[in-house]
Amino acid sequence: MKLTVNGTTHDVDVEEDMPLLWVLRDELNIKGVKYGCGIAQCGACTVHVDGVAVRSCQLAAADVDGEVTTIEGLGTPDSLHAVQAAWVEHQVAQCGYCQSGQIMQAASFLDLNPAPTDDQIDAAMSANLCRCGTYPRIRAAVKTAAQTLNGA
Amino acid sequence: MRCAPVRRLARVLALVAAPAAATGEVVIDPPAPGSVSRAEGLAAWDRIYEVASHPRCANCHVGASDVPMWSGPGYGRTRPHGMAVRAGDSRIGAETIPCRTCHVTSRTGGIDRPHAAPQVADAWRLAPPEAAWFGRSSDQICAQLRDPARTDGRTALQIAEHLGHDVILHWAWTPGSGREPAPYSLQEHVNDVLAWGVAGQPCAFD
Repeated sequence: MKLTVNGTTHDVDVEEDMPLLWVLRDELNIKGVKYGCGIAQCGACTVHVDGVAVRSCQLAAADVDGEVTTIEGLGTPDSLHAVQAAWVEHQVAQCGYCQSGQIMQAASFLDLNPAPTDDQIDAAMSANLCRCGTYPRIRAAVKTAAQTLNGA
Repeated sequence: MRCAPVRRLARVLALVAAPAAATGEVVIDPPAPGSVSRAEGLAAWDRIYEVASHPRCANCHVGASDVPMWSGPGYGRTRPHGMAVRAGDSRIGAETIPCRTCHVTSRTGGIDRPHAAPQVADAWRLAPPEAAWFGRSSDQICAQLRDPARTDGRTALQIAEHLGHDVILHWAWTPGSGREPAPYSLQEHVNDVLAWGVAGQPCAFD
């Protein structure tokens, strides 16, 4: 089947029910997306399908019906996405394992809700776990990214 | 690679506006007018209430709240859905995290694992606020389901047809790993709604 990931179309020979996570990591060698729990309880595997966040461990390859974007396709080192820039500014990451999922979730959230309240930030990000406990910095970075995206 | 926000929102909303076609497994065949007694209608209602109040249905029929519930066998104590999710005014989580981020839309049968987020061939969402079942009595729900103001104007026949068409409701009888299905079957439930309607939609308090 054909999958478009970060602007490149790939022809992959996988079982229909193979989770997108493993297609990305094992078939396409795109390793920014992480395995955490495999049951949509942690958010580490979050990518976008047509810009909307999705847990790639839950999505069967045959159910992918749009363009996939991973952390590698969100921005570039020379042109960071506003969420990535805010992550750097606030030095959010500690161990870093969950961070690509956090950033992809935040980027999708701010696309749908560009002026969120603190409560909405908490609701949007609470399904992405961080065992280092960087939550205060995550919230601050999301607020900074929202301001950047709104031209403040 | 990045799409316009409007397109993204449209993509989230379109899944509600254009759900998958019904599988055709449900037969809508109401009994002849006058053929169902009040007693038979009330018996049908009792079975309808067993379904409506079952966790597979009631957990997402939470009324004015925008927080789904976790309750029933396998869920331990009754509590709000984890992860602080909010379905918002959109009822699909568009304001914060779309339900479908975890309850992904699957038209192929998808992935079914214990404790994972269930998935169907439609956008996962809460029922509308006026369709409030969670924690409500048989009399309360009976009064609601024959009040056109709270059924979006649907008759019992139209409620049965809605049950036949709306595939997210079908999930209640095929809920996947480790979950107790709603009682009876989808067809039996539809038949009960039709019989209750032909009986004049009686409630026990009449």
